[in-house]
Amino acid sequence: MLKVPEHQVAGHIASDGKLGPLVDDQGRFFKPLQGDSRGEHEAKFYESFTSNKKVPDHIRRYFPVYHGTQLVEASDGSGKLPHLVLDDVVSGYSNPSVMDVKIGSRTWYPDVSEEYFKKCIKKDRQTTTVSLGFRVSGFKIFDHQESSFWRAEKKLVLGYNADGARLALRKFVSSNSPADSNLTPNCAFALEVYGGSNGILAQLVELKDWFETQTLYHFNSCSILMIYENESILMKEGDDAPAARAQVKLVDFAHVLDGNGVIDHNFLGGLCSFIKFIKDILQSVDKRDETDTSLLENGR
Amino acid sequence: MQLKAPEHQVAGHIAKDGKPGPLVDDKGRFFKPLQGDSRGEIEVKFYESFSSNTEVPEHIRRYFPVYHGTQAVEGSDEAAMIVLENLLADYSKPSVMDVKMGTRTWYPEASEEYIQKCLRKDTGTTTVSAGFRISGFEVYDHKESSFWKPERKLLRRLDVDGARLTLRKFVSSNSFSDIGSKPDSAFASSVYSGSHGILTQLLELKTWFESQTLYHFNSCSILMVYENESILKGNDGDDARPKVKLVDFAHVLDGNGVIDHNFLGGLCSFINFIRDILQSPDESAES
Repeated sequence: MLKVPEHQVAGHIASDGKLGPLVDDQGRFFKPLQGDSRGEHEAKFYESFTSNKKVPDHIRRYFPVYHGTQLVEASDGSGKLPHLVLDDVVSGYSNPSVMDVKIGSRTWYPDVSEEYFKKCIKKDRQTTTVSLGFRVSGFKIFDHQESSFWRAEKKLVLGYNADGARLALRKFVSSNSPADSNLTPNCAFALEVYGGSNGILAQLVELKDWFETQTLYHFNSCSILMIYENESILMKEGDDAPAARAQVKLVDFAHVLDGNGVIDHNFLGGLCSFIKFIKDILQSVDKRDETDTSLLENGR
Repeated sequence: MQLKAPEHQVAGHIAKDGKPGPLVDDKGRFFKPLQGDSRGEIEVKFYESFSSNTEVPEHIRRYFPVYHGTQAVEGSDEAAMIVLENLLADYSKPSVMDVKMGTRTWYPEASEEYIQKCLRKDTGTTTVSAGFRISGFEVYDHKESSFWKPERKLLRRLDVDGARLTLRKFVSSNSFSDIGSKPDSAFASSVYSGSHGILTQLLELKTWFESQTLYHFNSCSILMVYENESILKGNDGDDARPKVKLVDFAHVLDGNGVIDHNFLGGLCSFINFIRDILQSPDESAES
């Protein structure tokens, strides 16, 4: 039985008879092959990537596992369509908080049509893509107080400036009510999600190291998905509680091209900028915790 | 004070049609005319800010020309000039290359006209494809005992393979005018590698760019300089003295808490090109 995935934060959504991805109960994700060759292109990338011996093993964890293509009943009722079969990156999480960040200071690339170029550059300039080297595409957080998911409004997200992006990244790891826009995000989970030897920052830095030398692919218009289990952090008691299991995944490969001996400087620049934003949040949380500790020590 | 036109300008403005160009004196100083429409002012503002900015680490200052303020110079309509250290003063036969760094030369705050002009140039060159483009260079040709400089037009049409070839040519000793001959990359290790080589310096810059949010170096160039004469003379004492300098700050803006991801991406790509040359001294080993 295939159903609409619960945790899509960006991209096409299968709802109200629209064409979109589906999931099964075995942890698989079915992405319909989009028209105009983008779907085939993405399948071609997955095929190449899966069998490419030059991709180091420790880097494969950042990519969804590919299981070929399959004819599946499409979500919009149009009959059986070819779908990409991938591991569902959020299966295994009960209440995942998810954020999609499009990486790169440009989403267009050489040799695209004039029309596509104009469309991309307009969006790049209107969002933080040009200024920051990345833009938040969408995110949702599990709100414990409400026991439900809070989703950031798409229009608001696309209208972010640098401060908005910064705030979103803080909100993403906060436990105070996301619906209340007057509340300063408390970054309660920042250290566990962003920090630590297995946290988001460590994973991004590992990816960055690979991007400094890999000339296999140019990941035009790709996103980084950040996922973590919200529920376990709040419920934990003691040191051996389940971890946040923060994860970084690269997704959306409809525009990937061969590297042709050149590194993906567009993605890398944006990734470095994104890393700096995460680092800044961790540093500000560290400082704040230090101040809090010293206040405690002064007997206040 | 005797002022004359510098011998080794490879890119940027030169004295032409009555417009002032840069000058050098015999005391190791370089005089750069202030460019029109506020670009000159921006450059001065940058140098002034940079010289006194305590957040710039000491070991990074070596990558920037020393600034000596501005001065009105006789014979140039008393127009103010930026006084900088002459980067080539200590070299007798410097080979010089100017590489404009970044996947784009425009920036959001610029005028629409300027943005379109830059975009056209960026897409037509290796700026978009490789994250940098070679603006100009000059190499000392020992056989001819003279400097060889390619036509600027040819450089603008370089593609990725052409840029790679040019970076090899820059450190080669065989004939430049012969288009057919493969560059021998004879000086690649003396210039690009080693603890004082170009690659080491670029890596030090890269580390700074990964965290500095002070300035965005839009449209800036990296200048690579080395002494050709000493390598050929074979003196073990003299080395090529390879040097990396950032130049041209007419479009620098405040970082505003964001790293210069545009410059950094291009710099990483450039570093990879240099590494490739060092790893495969024989050009044919690259394919």
